[in-house]
Amino acid sequence: MRMKPMVLTAAAAALIAAPAAAQQKINVGHLADYSGATSDVGKPFGEGVADAMAWINKNGGVAKRQVNLDTVDYGYQVPRSIATYKKWTGRDKVVAIFGWGTADTEALITFVSKDQIPYISGSYAGSLTDPTGQAEKSTAAAPFNFFYGPSYSDAARALVTWAADDWKKKGGQGKPKYVHMGANHPYPNAPKAAAEDLAKELGFDVLPAIQFALTPGDYTAQCLTLKQSGANYAYLGNTAGSNVSVLKACKNAGVDVQFMGNVWGMDENAAKAAGNAADGVVIPVRTRTLWTDEAPGMKTVREIGGADNYRPLHYIAGICTAFYIKEAMEWANANGGITALKIRDGMYAKKDWVPKGMEGVCVPSTWTKTDHRPTTEVQLYRARVTAATDAPLNDLIKSGAVKMEKVTVVNLPRKPEWLGW
Amino acid sequence: MASPGFRPCGDFKSDYASDTRIFDTAASRWFCLAGVLLLCLLPIISETSGIELKYELSLLIQIGYLGIAALGLNILVGFTGQISIGHAAFFGFGAFASPFLNNKFGIPVFFSIPLAGLMATAVGMLFGIPAARLKGLYLAIATLAAQFILQDFFGRADWFSGGTHGAPAAPFTIFGFAFDTDATFFYVVLAYVVALYLAAANLMRTRDGRALVAVRDHYLSAEMMGINLTKYRTMSFGISSFYAGIGGALYGHYLGFVSVEGFTILFSIQFLGMIIIGGLGSIMGSLMGTAFMVLLPEVMDALTGLLAGTSIDRALGLKENLSYLREVAIGVTIILFLVFEPDGLAHRWRQVKAYWKLYPFSY
Repeated sequence: MRMKPMVLTAAAAALIAAPAAAQQKINVGHLADYSGATSDVGKPFGEGVADAMAWINKNGGVAKRQVNLDTVDYGYQVPRSIATYKKWTGRDKVVAIFGWGTADTEALITFVSKDQIPYISGSYAGSLTDPTGQAEKSTAAAPFNFFYGPSYSDAARALVTWAADDWKKKGGQGKPKYVHMGANHPYPNAPKAAAEDLAKELGFDVLPAIQFALTPGDYTAQCLTLKQSGANYAYLGNTAGSNVSVLKACKNAGVDVQFMGNVWGMDENAAKAAGNAADGVVIPVRTRTLWTDEAPGMKTVREIGGADNYRPLHYIAGICTAFYIKEAMEWANANGGITALKIRDGMYAKKDWVPKGMEGVCVPSTWTKTDHRPTTEVQLYRARVTAATDAPLNDLIKSGAVKMEKVTVVNLPRKPEWLGW
Repeated sequence: MASPGFRPCGDFKSDYASDTRIFDTAASRWFCLAGVLLLCLLPIISETSGIELKYELSLLIQIGYLGIAALGLNILVGFTGQISIGHAAFFGFGAFASPFLNNKFGIPVFFSIPLAGLMATAVGMLFGIPAARLKGLYLAIATLAAQFILQDFFGRADWFSGGTHGAPAAPFTIFGFAFDTDATFFYVVLAYVVALYLAAANLMRTRDGRALVAVRDHYLSAEMMGINLTKYRTMSFGISSFYAGIGGALYGHYLGFVSVEGFTILFSIQFLGMIIIGGLGSIMGSLMGTAFMVLLPEVMDALTGLLAGTSIDRALGLKENLSYLREVAIGVTIILFLVFEPDGLAHRWRQVKAYWKLYPFSY
């Protein structure tokens, strides 16, 4: 019973203090998936965003104002994301929103365009990159949608480009065979057409896609199909959880194919879960460094994440995402005040920029009024698993049992016909 | 009759018309009307007084379109006794069909919404055909098949749903005035809710409605009485899909964009949860259950939000697990409901009314 007065007092204190603080604070929304279907990768990314904002607040905030980041775990459910969005825009008057999945980002495109609120998603679908809707293959205009990193389509194009080189280097005979694998869903399918298109152009034999669900399961049948098809390069479009199942099943089925993953398709945790089945998978990475690499900006990253525990690559990408918005807010503050529209303009203010404190970590990015592809530079890494993976991730990284090694950097041309899909 | 507000002791009904009234007393009718009028005032208050009600309105809109679809399911499951676990697929069909008619054929949204309902009816009838011969678990599996077949169809049929890219949906317009804000679209949803709920209440007072209930209560007896089981079971599927289609179409035009990802089996289960919590075989219960399911996560979110940073949070080291606490709380609430309120919210509401009527006696 003594708890009750304490809670009440705390609540009352918070209520009294709230108006005074609210005048100073910048309200920002943050949709995260900590408990839903994509929480395996949603958690590190969301924590990266939230921890970065907490660190920014601790170090003087944005233009001396504190950011009031409201993190809501929406469990990857579209209706809940809509209700949360309405709360933020109706009551809290947020000036920017960090979003997450493809489905909810697409569901909110119309709303954010109408309400004119910059929306920075964890979805990198190519369809979000065309702010005008004028591009040849774009489906809709998304003038207020932003993200940091290469789009799904560009990352897949980079993988295909690398695969074509790899085939030549290996001295492969005849046409290499390429196959897309994933669920029949907006997210895995987002880059499908783009990658297959380029694969054909580069001389691949493109096989019919192989389907497997977004949830972990037994995918032996799919692996046998893959084996029979004789594919040389397979693109995994799903998130880490189900990819781990496929990699393990294919290892058991004795499939000899070079797997390539989407940005959310593999990370250090997934490599640990898949064990030696993950060995050799090539994935795009959105930052120039991983946790154990050295760069000037890594000092900030380690301050944010705590130096003693290893943080997966999605965490660092989350930090970069948050810092770009922070810088856009600072520009807004210097150019008429921190409003949603000004923050959007702040994203356009510089060319090839890296946020202060993130030097060498984030890839220099540019957003323009006609092109929301921040970068076409794609870092490709290969997962290496050389020993048993039952120890904690920290130890596995220290012992070198799980490693991400850099393969190459692909610089894609910024073709106008690649905009918006 | 005594005063218009209260029912006198005993039952003095002497004809069928008074026995099948929607509102038992004048007071309940006026209350209902006043409620609808009050709801009509909400957006006006929101627009003029400076009190921001966008969030509340959007929750009400959600309750509206989900409530319409839930009522459809209740007609099928609660009134006809036909189990269905593929309701979200029909909801999705309506959500895609309306923008499809509007984008491809230029049919105004005003007409495309009811047409989408009719298209969903046709699809529902198609999947309802096996229902005429199946019962219980077998039927459940057949409707499950509908869920997966339609979901896959949405993902593949580029010409219909835009495939996995989804489909843009134009706003609802009348004579060039676009209902594209929460405050305006609310009226569209409210009009549909009132019309469709009245229609369902009236359906249950007709010969056909009573036939549906007879099929539920004892199909053999119903058949002996001359009720055509095949016809009524299939019809029930059709009506249910019509409601789902209308709800889905409203959802699509509210969002402005329909994506294939939203209509999963989980969503179908949520619809079942709504009608079980509200009360099977109750019109009002459908709306109550929907309101409960829509508001529960929001309330839980607020409650767990209050816990954040308090001594309870610190003592238990909840921190990031607050969100899980909310998920657990939602699950626990639903289980408790099923244990303590098996007849749903509508039944509890009747008991509350009876308590006031009978006080100080217990019955």
